[in-house]
Amino acid sequence: MHDDPTLFSDGAAPAIDIGVPALELRGIGKRFPGVLALENVDLTLEPGKVHALMGENGAGKSTLIKILAGVYQRDAGTMRIHGRDVAIRSPRDSLRQGIKVVFQEIALINEFSVAENIFLEGHPTDRLGSIDWRKIRTGCAELFERIGFAIDPMARTGSLPVSQQQMVEIARALAHQASIVVMDEPTSSLTPKEVKLLFTIIRRLTALGIAVLYVSHKLDEVFEIADTVTVLRDGRHISTRPIGSHTDDSLIQDMIGRRIVDLFPRQRGAAGSRVALSVRGLSTTHKLSDISFEARAGEVVGFFGLMGAGRTELAKAIVGYDPISAGAITVDGRTLAPHNTAVGVGLGIGLLSEDRKVEGLMGELPMYQNASLASLGRFARHGFVDAGRERQAVQGFVDRFRIKTPSLTQKVKNLSGGNQQKVLIARWLMRGLKVIVVDEPTRGIDVGAKSEIFSLIDELAGAGLAVVMMTSEMPELLGLSDRIVVLAEGRITATMSRQDATQEMILNAAIGAKGRTSHEFRH
Amino acid sequence: MSSVTDRALGPPPVWRRLIGRQETAAFICLVALLVFFSLTADNFFSTRNFTNVLGQASLTLIAGIGCAVVFISGEVDISIGSLLATVALPLIVIMNDTNSLLLGVAGAMAVGLAVGVINGFLSAYLGINSLIVTLGMMFTLRGGVYLYTGQRAIADDAGLDSFIALSDGRLFDVLPYSAVIAIILLGVFVYVLRFRRFGRQIYAVGGNREVARLAGYDVRRVKFTCFVISSLLATCSGIILAARVGSAQHIAGLNFEFQVVAATVLGGVSLSGGIGSLGGMTLGVLILQFLSNGLRGLSLPTEWQLVITGAIIIAAVALDELKRRRAHGD
Repeated sequence: MHDDPTLFSDGAAPAIDIGVPALELRGIGKRFPGVLALENVDLTLEPGKVHALMGENGAGKSTLIKILAGVYQRDAGTMRIHGRDVAIRSPRDSLRQGIKVVFQEIALINEFSVAENIFLEGHPTDRLGSIDWRKIRTGCAELFERIGFAIDPMARTGSLPVSQQQMVEIARALAHQASIVVMDEPTSSLTPKEVKLLFTIIRRLTALGIAVLYVSHKLDEVFEIADTVTVLRDGRHISTRPIGSHTDDSLIQDMIGRRIVDLFPRQRGAAGSRVALSVRGLSTTHKLSDISFEARAGEVVGFFGLMGAGRTELAKAIVGYDPISAGAITVDGRTLAPHNTAVGVGLGIGLLSEDRKVEGLMGELPMYQNASLASLGRFARHGFVDAGRERQAVQGFVDRFRIKTPSLTQKVKNLSGGNQQKVLIARWLMRGLKVIVVDEPTRGIDVGAKSEIFSLIDELAGAGLAVVMMTSEMPELLGLSDRIVVLAEGRITATMSRQDATQEMILNAAIGAKGRTSHEFRH
Repeated sequence: MSSVTDRALGPPPVWRRLIGRQETAAFICLVALLVFFSLTADNFFSTRNFTNVLGQASLTLIAGIGCAVVFISGEVDISIGSLLATVALPLIVIMNDTNSLLLGVAGAMAVGLAVGVINGFLSAYLGINSLIVTLGMMFTLRGGVYLYTGQRAIADDAGLDSFIALSDGRLFDVLPYSAVIAIILLGVFVYVLRFRRFGRQIYAVGGNREVARLAGYDVRRVKFTCFVISSLLATCSGIILAARVGSAQHIAGLNFEFQVVAATVLGGVSLSGGIGSLGGMTLGVLILQFLSNGLRGLSLPTEWQLVITGAIIIAAVALDELKRRRAHGD
């Protein structure tokens, strides 16, 4: 038999020495330009155990996973697998070392059948090296039957719903000869029934002596499946404890710490009383349901939510970019209808996208043209743009926002992330917006430049705009907002004023914790 | 490798599903063409005419395998037409010097290999857009041949029997040898694409480069190899073409790359990678070849051939796009 997948040889665990840790990371460090993503992180996985890795967005979980997967290379530290020092320089190295990473973004070939995707890392072959399609089909069918998984192995993968694709991705971990399985937020698009199936699969893996690293921010799941929990915060190792010694509170405490939010010196006065934006009963077909809120002129309303909570979806729906299935949006008393961005901009609502490169900037064009894009009508004379007036107007914003650029004609792609963001803000201000929706305004921006973006947002609100800010970063949320709204699973789970808000309240509402107080050892 | 003998094994469903797509339309189109011309054109429906068409199609078929492989990997190679003219030079010159077909072919293959390695290195390893790389290669090679030959052709003075047989010899007096070579190569590559890991890696790399990388595939090496395959197959076409015209000349294979690309796209091989089959490519080649053959039989001016061919290609691709949109629900 060739390439016999682990699961088919029932009970025949791979030769794993139980005494030696499956994976030992010591002092792992990783630096990106301007950001220290990981610093001196330790992690030990035992064979046959589930180790949960938790932390807020930006804590360093993804970076650590990508180092294990060979997508990034570590800058510092040692990595030992089953007691041997290893170097992982590519995804191929990672697979060779017996590590199988189940990514959150589905890593399957759409045009391939489900069965072929299961065996993507190595098609079973006969003695002559020809692919054994019969084995691929029967192997996949047997695997699915064993784990009680009802998907046609012959189905084209791309035709399956996302949740089933995610299950295929997870099942793939079983067909691979892995001794370490890493799962990154595996349940983000699963139904409750599928989550149960996932846990069955994980128990099967551990019964075979496989070490599982389970990355999640969902407390329920972690308490149900994990043996040990490691918490990261700001790229540092905070704690590693058996799950039984944790409570909801103690875990959340570890995740947010007792850090003092870098209080940002607020310049603007109190918000006005005029309602600039009103959203009533907004729903979309896929994610959002029954979202209602108001934003007043001069107010910053901060939306907080974890991965998959629906922040970006909400931002795009409010401005008319994505369709809505129910609800109404009014800007200064006028309804956004028909639902598209042209009407939105006409009413005075615009989006500062989280993805500047794709949805914001025209990288090859000069900086001044990027800034004036939405207001060309103002500079037009007889149908031609008066470049002199256009540049003059842009120069005004360059001075006001302290945009660092060698000249107005500099290609915008050559500016730093912070300055690109300022160009986009200038674009909307020039257009005369009343409401601006900002989605993750400081993503991909150097730590140093963040405070400049903060002060810019503060200035926008100070100038009388209503600002709706989507963020997954606590300091940003607490530092800038007048009011805080928490999203989870596409719904609003809490609304509070900044004065009343605490990190614990916010994270509780975002995670959907149910006030667990103590836990017994269950494993 | 026919689908009937595979019944027990079962073809991989991807293939079955792809057949359910543009290949089916191409097949129907081919049958309709054959029926139409059999009824309207004189001397169309005969073994002789069909084997002739196969012989004529063999150049496009052989190079089309390479073109399809490169397309499936998500790249393009339009240097093949110029390569046809280029490889004839070492072939004819060496044969004239040594009277050896084998040495001539080896020389041609060495040049083809070098071109493939350069294309592959620049596109796959340096990451330069392959359309630009092979466009540049197309001009460079064509110019090089011009410089060497000037306006005149370099004739094959050796006149080796084995070389001439490539142009007019027939297996059992029926099937042209060039068609036999094309069929054998097709068989080999159909096998590679369906039954070798490398073949599936080509589809995976073209389908989703990042996923392929995470699955441990060496994406750059796969793409590099596809360029080399494409150049070597185009070299085979170049050798057969040189045998047909009995010389090396600067206009050999002019616009050949566009014929090949047209046939490949017509057969349902996607320019964006990951989708397509050699069966589809073969159907595309046969449609265009029978079309030109049949229109000639109807004694329509050749200008009409160009117009009709163009219209069919656009219609086929538009139809495919419409189907895809409906399948995705918008």
